[in-house]
Amino acid sequence: MVDSGKVFELSAIRRIYKVGSELVYALDGVDLSIHDREFIAVTGTSGSGKSTLMHTLGFMDSPTSGRMDFEGRDVSAIGRGERARLRATRIGFVFQAFNLLPKLTVLDNVVLPLIYGRMHVKDKNELGIQVLQRVGMEHRATHTPGQLSGGERQRVAIARSLINQPRLILADEPTGNLDSKNRGRIMELFASLMEEGITLALVTHDDEVAAYAKRRIRMQDGRIVEDSEK
Amino acid sequence: MNPVGDIYTGASNGLREVWSNKVRSLLSMSGIILGVAALVAMVGIVQGMLGNMRASFERSGGVLKLEVHPREAPESQQHIAGISPGMTWRDIGAIEKAIPLAAFVSPIVDMEWERFVANGRREGAILHGVTPDFAGIKKNELLYGRFISDYDIETKSPVIVVGAHLAETLFRGKGNVVGEQLRVREQVYTIIGQIKPLGNSTPGGRGFNYEARFNYISATTAMGRYKGDDKVNRIEILAANTETMPDLIGQIENTLTQTHRGILDFEVRTQEEQMVELKKLENSFTYSLGGIAGISLLVGGIGIMNVMLASVSERIREIGVRKAIGARSHDIFIQFLAEAVVISLLGGLLGLVASVGLLSLARDLIPQGENINLVPVTAMLYGFVFSSLIGLASGIYPALRASRLDPIDALRYE
Repeated sequence: MVDSGKVFELSAIRRIYKVGSELVYALDGVDLSIHDREFIAVTGTSGSGKSTLMHTLGFMDSPTSGRMDFEGRDVSAIGRGERARLRATRIGFVFQAFNLLPKLTVLDNVVLPLIYGRMHVKDKNELGIQVLQRVGMEHRATHTPGQLSGGERQRVAIARSLINQPRLILADEPTGNLDSKNRGRIMELFASLMEEGITLALVTHDDEVAAYAKRRIRMQDGRIVEDSEK
Repeated sequence: MNPVGDIYTGASNGLREVWSNKVRSLLSMSGIILGVAALVAMVGIVQGMLGNMRASFERSGGVLKLEVHPREAPESQQHIAGISPGMTWRDIGAIEKAIPLAAFVSPIVDMEWERFVANGRREGAILHGVTPDFAGIKKNELLYGRFISDYDIETKSPVIVVGAHLAETLFRGKGNVVGEQLRVREQVYTIIGQIKPLGNSTPGGRGFNYEARFNYISATTAMGRYKGDDKVNRIEILAANTETMPDLIGQIENTLTQTHRGILDFEVRTQEEQMVELKKLENSFTYSLGGIAGISLLVGGIGIMNVMLASVSERIREIGVRKAIGARSHDIFIQFLAEAVVISLLGGLLGLVASVGLLSLARDLIPQGENINLVPVTAMLYGFVFSSLIGLASGIYPALRASRLDPIDALRYE
């Protein structure tokens, strides 16, 4: 296998938008490797390109130029259908606004990626309960998101990101909508999941949150200006 | 890849969405409900009415019936037209004797509108003089008594077969009126037969029922008592079968040419024209009402499309989330299409229920509406299939819009 524990290998990645007649370099030559079991915090001011980097890593967006390898395979120019398949099966997403579907129960929300990924799982609900146990939310399986607190919702969202056993979990300001007590709990949860062997990249502008990560990447004007290991 | 699973998931999502927005769903269904109800009810009513007309056509002899009417002799025979005796009682005998292809032959001695008196009541109705064969041409069912007999013809007996209208108006609530007497032009007749009213309505019930106003006496009585001669107004003949009808017409023409001494002062008419007219009427009803119902279904479809478009823009964020966690455009497309189809299917079903209500209302309100079928299966099937097709068609554009949303833009949407 070419894999050898390397999740992502990005070299000279550019993402250029056209806004009106002006070109915006959201990513302007990014080189980055991500390995298994890494915990990366991506920081930077707004407009620095950190969101675009997350979208690119999450197969929501494609680079304009440069080479991107995922699990040892060139994914710089794959199509929309293949990107959707990778999102469903290889990547987990955690959002600032939780983004649970309000009309579905907690359990139905959690198993949704299995359905979209056409995963061959014998008992989807059983697997759903298992991941809910990992985040300590199994007692809320039949509730709807509206009946949960913000911290509980984010736990459910984390369970949803875990269910397809992703190679990489991407979290975009996962504590941005939480109070300090819940922020701590969510970060503790991430830390304990790291022990279990996940790989995590999270975007934050909160130094306290970033302090949990072992590796910090700071972005500015579409470039990585700092990449340090703790 | 599992299309059955996709459709199942889509349909259950659609049902959930419809159920959680009950009022909105009902409003968006209303067009389809009304469209289907209108389509099925209209077709049901038209079928019922046309069924009545057809039944009346069949009762009056159908396509097998021929009528011989007098007419002016042609120009070339005008100067000798006087040698023809015209249409007379003798013609009946001649046809009966010479033409075995004629199953039944009866003259009509037409007294038109007469005033009938009994029990101190008066009522206008139509009086025809006929022979026993007439019962074989016009299929009147008798409720009580018997029809005119050969004996009545021979003896010119003063007896009458009354229609449902006279039986009801002159002898209110009496039921069986056989044996009663009534007067026409100061002449007394004994009722020997009473014709069954049409349908299963109460006798002389709602509406104007023309057929119930016919009353019959012996042709010989009519000629003797009123006309004082042996002239008949027309001759009705029932052919034995359709194949031999052209032969029969030729034979009638030959026979009558002889009895009329070569003067062609008569014509044989068939009911074919009426048959064609009936068919035309049926078609024009079907197309015009079908068109109207089609338009209302179209409007219903536009309503669904409108609601679906609103629903898509309301749920842009949801679409973004679903795509972010791995839904393909295809999944989103199926989800929204299934929702539109669920709405139109439910609307179609409710429309069918409503149509039964409309039809039973029509049954009560429309004269002779008893023949209206409450469950016109074919029309219902059409209505249901059309409504689901319209739901499918009106869901495609909104579903396409939803499926084409970019996940990043959709997630950012507030």
